[in-house]
Amino acid sequence: MSSKVEEMFMYDDTRLADYTYDNSIDRGTVDIPFALLTLVLLTVGVIMVLSASFARAYYDPNNTTGGNATYYFVRQALFALCGVGVMFVCSRFPMGFYRHISGIVMLVSLAMLVLVLVPGIGEKVNNARRWINLGFTTFQPSEIAKIGVIMYFSALICAPKNKLTGSIKGLLRYVIVLGAVCGLLVLEPHMSAIIIILVIGLVMLFLGGLPLRWFIGGAVAGGSLLGIGYALFPYVRNRFTAWLNPFADASGTGYQIVQSLYSIGSGGLLGLGLGNSRQKYLYLPEEHNDFIFSVVCEELGFIGAMLILVLFALLIIRGYWLAMHARDRYSAMVGAGITTHLAMQVILNVAVCTNSIPCTGISLPLFSYGGTALLLQMAELGIILSLSRDIPEKR
Amino acid sequence: MFKKRREKNDPASPNRMMLRRTLFLMIVCGIVAFIALGARLFQLQIIDHDMYESAAVEQQLRQTNVPAQRGTIYDRNMNILAMSASVSNIYISPAEIKMNKEDPAFIASGLSNILGLDYAEIYEKTSHTDSWYSTVARKVEDDLTERVRQFKEENNLTGVKIEEASKRYYPYGTLASHVLGFVGTDDHGLAGLEYYYDKLLSGTDGRIVRATNAYGTDMMFTDFEDYYDAVDGQSIVTTIDETVQHYLEKHLDEAAVDYDLQDGAAGIVMDVNTGAILGMASLGDFDPNDYMTVSEEAQERISTAMVDTMEDYDTLLAEERNLQWRNKALTETYEPGSVFKIITLATGLDSGAVTTNSTFFCGGSLNVLGRTDPLNCWNVVGHGNETLTEAAMFSCNIAFTIIGQKIGAERFYQYIRAFGLFDRTGVDLPGEAGSLWWSDDVFFNKANLSQLAAASFGQTFTITPIQLITAVSAVANGGYLMEPYLVSKVLDDEGTVVSQREPTVVRQVISEQTSRTCCEILEQVVSGQNATGKNAYVAGYRVCGKTGTSEDVNYEVEHGTKKYIASFLGFAPANDPQVAVLVLCENPGPDSIVGSAGGGSMGAPTVGKILQDVLPYLGVQPQYGEGEEALVDQRMPRVVSKSLEEARELLEKNGFVVKSVVGSGAAVTAQLPAANAKIAAGSEVILYCGEELDKTPIQMPNLLGLSYEIAKIRAGWDNLYVRGEGVMMNSNSILTVRQSIEEGTLVEPGTVVTVTLSDSSYAATART
Repeated sequence: MSSKVEEMFMYDDTRLADYTYDNSIDRGTVDIPFALLTLVLLTVGVIMVLSASFARAYYDPNNTTGGNATYYFVRQALFALCGVGVMFVCSRFPMGFYRHISGIVMLVSLAMLVLVLVPGIGEKVNNARRWINLGFTTFQPSEIAKIGVIMYFSALICAPKNKLTGSIKGLLRYVIVLGAVCGLLVLEPHMSAIIIILVIGLVMLFLGGLPLRWFIGGAVAGGSLLGIGYALFPYVRNRFTAWLNPFADASGTGYQIVQSLYSIGSGGLLGLGLGNSRQKYLYLPEEHNDFIFSVVCEELGFIGAMLILVLFALLIIRGYWLAMHARDRYSAMVGAGITTHLAMQVILNVAVCTNSIPCTGISLPLFSYGGTALLLQMAELGIILSLSRDIPEKR
Repeated sequence: MFKKRREKNDPASPNRMMLRRTLFLMIVCGIVAFIALGARLFQLQIIDHDMYESAAVEQQLRQTNVPAQRGTIYDRNMNILAMSASVSNIYISPAEIKMNKEDPAFIASGLSNILGLDYAEIYEKTSHTDSWYSTVARKVEDDLTERVRQFKEENNLTGVKIEEASKRYYPYGTLASHVLGFVGTDDHGLAGLEYYYDKLLSGTDGRIVRATNAYGTDMMFTDFEDYYDAVDGQSIVTTIDETVQHYLEKHLDEAAVDYDLQDGAAGIVMDVNTGAILGMASLGDFDPNDYMTVSEEAQERISTAMVDTMEDYDTLLAEERNLQWRNKALTETYEPGSVFKIITLATGLDSGAVTTNSTFFCGGSLNVLGRTDPLNCWNVVGHGNETLTEAAMFSCNIAFTIIGQKIGAERFYQYIRAFGLFDRTGVDLPGEAGSLWWSDDVFFNKANLSQLAAASFGQTFTITPIQLITAVSAVANGGYLMEPYLVSKVLDDEGTVVSQREPTVVRQVISEQTSRTCCEILEQVVSGQNATGKNAYVAGYRVCGKTGTSEDVNYEVEHGTKKYIASFLGFAPANDPQVAVLVLCENPGPDSIVGSAGGGSMGAPTVGKILQDVLPYLGVQPQYGEGEEALVDQRMPRVVSKSLEEARELLEKNGFVVKSVVGSGAAVTAQLPAANAKIAAGSEVILYCGEELDKTPIQMPNLLGLSYEIAKIRAGWDNLYVRGEGVMMNSNSILTVRQSIEEGTLVEPGTVVTVTLSDSSYAATART
């Protein structure tokens, strides 16, 4: 390994005079509101997976479940239990540990993003290589890359010599890393992951103190990129037309959106009742996955859906609150980054389900079916719980 | 050195800007975004709820049709004219075939074997795997359906589906096809009664509404299922009498052949007292079981038309179909010609313009105010002095012009209106045409009486046959204009009468006295000396009627040749009219058995034959006048095994003559002709006493152009016998025009040949 790479990722900053490594104070308990909100949402999420998935599991149109109606539920529940364990374990590690391994996590993420592109390791589904099959389970390297970017950018920003003053040179390594991640994701391709990672990266730079003019410039650049993408790729154009008028091709490009709107709309104020969704009977695609929120809306109604959104909002606000009260800058950065990641997933997922933005595959944290994604989310929340333990109690 | 916390501007702890920016994110991601999403949810779930819910429900519910049984159409004696039987539609679900991994080739070969369809076609259908419904065969009968069901069940094929449907049957084939109409593939009426009473006949289909998943199968735990029972259609009892209709069509068919009718024929039989239509026919007809198929002649016309493109061919075919589906008795208007003189006569008598004592002079022509040339009578020599009855008998145009002018244009139109000739009759069939008359200002023009003149003998206006027979029925029945109708009763699916139609009197047009007088005069038109309608004479019945010959002016402009419609309207009996018959023979051709194309020579005999069959059937007893009975054919009694003496006595009592006795036995062992044969009275019979019957074939002689008596004698020479039809009347102008067995045919001795008698006098063959 070249010394440049070593310098970039394998640094040893444990002897830095920084609060992150201050082990002289005993760590307190985890933040109870945050932990409780997480567990409540996780429980509701697992129940919703049962409700949303049993029709597809029973009819088994893709020959995966063998007609076992609780196929998805049982797996999700097991992962949720593991997830609680993972969260607990992650909350035990000191923040200094996370800061110390930040570069390694980033490096591992990049390595896996490369590996997933290798035929034989990466599984090709619908013309995209996003999954690595470990035999007992599959996972998306992009999920790890999100944490990687959060941790790595936080660590970089906290390093004394990396002041984000606005110089191009100072920005360069962020841009290189972000560019590398996004470039690899383009090769998969994985549009929604790119969006989220870009947003996370920008938010980290924003929190790190990058002058606002850069963001104005970035917004202009991003907008023009979008315009170019719209002009060049019919695929992007289709997404936009399907977004603007999904009913124009309700059985083709607009199908998912139309079905999702039917689900949400037919929920009404009080919903059809838990378990009574009709749209989940193979009308709504990805009903236990990206569109699980539509089933929530259909079954629990406006009241139920709003309750869950409020719980998410509280969790997010609490996450930012914890970040703002973090003992040290690294913790604050990581906390705000993870919370932003959580917020982005929730907001974008609900926005897609309600056709507020063009359709793209973004899962709903703690709800959408998917084992490794859930474990990683729980790990992220565990890190927030870990930093919460360093917050001194009010006098 | 780490003890101190949160020192200002300490690079290791979060600085103010960071906190500010985190707070900003908290507000944006934790509050603002969620408020926006909440608003969006409110819009979708509360404001637009109904729209999305109904759209979702529509896709989630699947309806299965339960077809209602279509009602039956009965004739007035409850014979079934049209009925529905349940059949099945066979269809496949290519999507399910794929989903359940069934073998499309196996299904295609199985179905093609059972149903006798093309394998490749069915196989092709299985390839549309996104489809859930692809019809293989419609209206499959029970036995085949059963085999398909077996095939499906034995091989557990979910992709093969059977659906209930129904098929319409018309047991009598072409009989009354224009009245009945037909139904399309959707089991809804497209013409005739089937169309007019479609709502009533078709009932309401039932439905099964189920919530299903996107693949069309069940929705677990949501056992939502709603049944709406099918309400079977009601049945209708028509006024059509199958037997009367049969006679009508039989004699129209004969007329079409005898008179070489190029454009077919039309006829109506009406109960004059109720307006009920007992029979209605239009030639050429079609088989409602197979209404798309055109007749062989039409097919030939199409194929000889030398069309260039498929499109032209289809156009021609469509034209032929429309032609065969047209009910001419109802949808076609024509100039009624002299038949209309019945109306002028009744109007003249009822209005007091003329009386039975009025006399007229016909010099062959008459100057009419407003006409540049004089009006000619069909008899250019003129009828001379004539009474009102004679004017009718001779169908004198001059006399009727005078009657018309005595009535006056305004009064004439008042009666026309009263007779319902300005309006559609309102008969319960679709497509009734309306009449066309001169407008009042033209007709009432005092300076030009030519329109009135022409109208008084039935020209320069057009009406429909149904209008004419309805109006004439009013003349016959005592003056009451009836609303013609076809459906007398509506029955529910259990046969209980739901509603019943009583005859509807529209109004009284003429007095009963006028009606009686008209009947007396019109009887003379058939039975009077030198009358024009003699060919409608039926022995034993007092037939009234009037001839009519109309010329289709438009046809002459288009085709260059004349087209005549030879018609006759008859009703009987004169003293108590029961039934009226109108027959239109359209466009007689060159191969007609009678020389002249006229109402008297073609319309009258056809109506006569129809009445001859229909009157006895309707229970009207024949009452023979003086000498009439002797002219009626007699039934040959059975004399075999009787003694010769007894046989002789019996035969003579029945008006037969024993010509010879073969053999010397004491008892009759055989007779010629056979027992029960109906032959001319006075025929000479041969008796065999012990000898064998002589069976040497004989050539049929020519019997045409003879009087009935001579024909009987001529046949007798060859030991053949005649029976007569047509005008069975003693007159030297009544001659045979047709023999049922062609000249030269080899027949056994004793064969009975039917000869048709027709009045070939000048009056009876006139175009009037």
